[in-house]
Amino acid sequence: MEYNGGSVVAMVGKGCVAIASDLRLGNQALGISSNFQKIFPITDRIYLGLPGLATDVTTLKEQFRYRVNMYTIKEEREIEPEAFAHLVSSTLYERRFGPYFIEPVMAGLTKKPSGEYRPFIAASDLIGCLNFAKDFVVAGTASSKLFGVAEGLWEPDLEPEDLFETISQTLLNAVDRDAYSGWGAIVHVITPESVITRTLKGRMD
Amino acid sequence: MAQTRSFNPYTENGGTILAISGQDFSVIAGDTRQSEGYSIQTRYAPKVFRLTDRAVLAVNGFAADGNMFVKKVKQRLEWYKHAHSKDMPLKAIARLIQTMLYAKRFFPYYVYNILGGIEEDGTGAVYSFDPVGSYEREACRAAGAAQSLVQPFLDNQIYFKNQVAAPGTTHPAHLPLPDVLSIVIDSFTSATERHIEVGDGLEVYIVLAKGRDLQDFEAIRARNVHLTQELTVTEDGERIFVMRLDLKKD
Repeated sequence: MEYNGGSVVAMVGKGCVAIASDLRLGNQALGISSNFQKIFPITDRIYLGLPGLATDVTTLKEQFRYRVNMYTIKEEREIEPEAFAHLVSSTLYERRFGPYFIEPVMAGLTKKPSGEYRPFIAASDLIGCLNFAKDFVVAGTASSKLFGVAEGLWEPDLEPEDLFETISQTLLNAVDRDAYSGWGAIVHVITPESVITRTLKGRMD
Repeated sequence: MAQTRSFNPYTENGGTILAISGQDFSVIAGDTRQSEGYSIQTRYAPKVFRLTDRAVLAVNGFAADGNMFVKKVKQRLEWYKHAHSKDMPLKAIARLIQTMLYAKRFFPYYVYNILGGIEEDGTGAVYSFDPVGSYEREACRAAGAAQSLVQPFLDNQIYFKNQVAAPGTTHPAHLPLPDVLSIVIDSFTSATERHIEVGDGLEVYIVLAKGRDLQDFEAIRARNVHLTQELTVTEDGERIFVMRLDLKKD
């Protein structure tokens, strides 16, 4: 985790979810890039964050792209967040005794039979143990800081704009106290109508 | 084959402390859980101590060292009082603590200290120390097991980090007492929720400057009569109160 650094957080809102990460890529204490993406769109309504070893970020994002494409072709439908979470879990558990050094975080909207959308977030450890939280999930080198700030700022049923403010403040203030995370940030707020993506201005030290 | 044995004189006893200063007050708080590994030794072991009517010391880390250190600081303050017929000023206590900690530079007291109180000019102050005496005056500081959870929250809520003031306005340099107390209590309930070494009880010491308007404090006190106790010894000087609150015990 500390080899390349980086952190991700996801939160539930009212009929929406948000996922955010920093943009740092480092080699231990040395900063290498301030534009390293670790959140990837899986479908129109599912985003996946992959903090951890950078080489495994690239490998796994391609692996998930392949497996989700295969799922879409076989099932002739888009994958739902719950199914995708279990796909992540089984992909990681395949490498139980030589794991990818990644702690995935997922955020998405599930389509209910009524046609409405239900917020969904989940996180996993590096061997695929899933955590379906009702409020927020965190991962990466600033995880303890993210827990502390999120626990203080988050509240239930936030509207998309308020959720954006909450997740942005949580991420920025947590990574400012973490030497391995920071160097800019990106936030995605997923609503049934659209995905709002904003790149944040943060401390660059 | 030769066997190596070693005795480890230090333990980590968990818990968290926190202090925030205002314009004319200072708040110093600590939880009361004392643990060793995954076991709870006691649910009530104070980590915050009244030194004088204008100084409060919070000690976190190795409890045995912490208690011994507070005992020795109190002893030095008593000697000072007998020699000079007055309480030692806060900034002098801060310097005393530095020299006492550095005196044990090569066998340190395994503790983080936070000193809160009222300065001679009547302003609220917080001093934070590392185990070997390096210190600094600040507006707020968290230390201990949940420092990493609480300090970034304080950066945001006390220093307004990453927040932009509304056009034509600026962020306040000092927050009012009711706001500070709310932030302290929220910090500890959050830390209790996510950290296993924090919980059971919360002790909040409130030091009020001499001649301070007590209206805001009396309103808080009225809501928590059974929880609040006055510890002030001297007449018409600074006043010290302690509020004892419950935290989750799981």
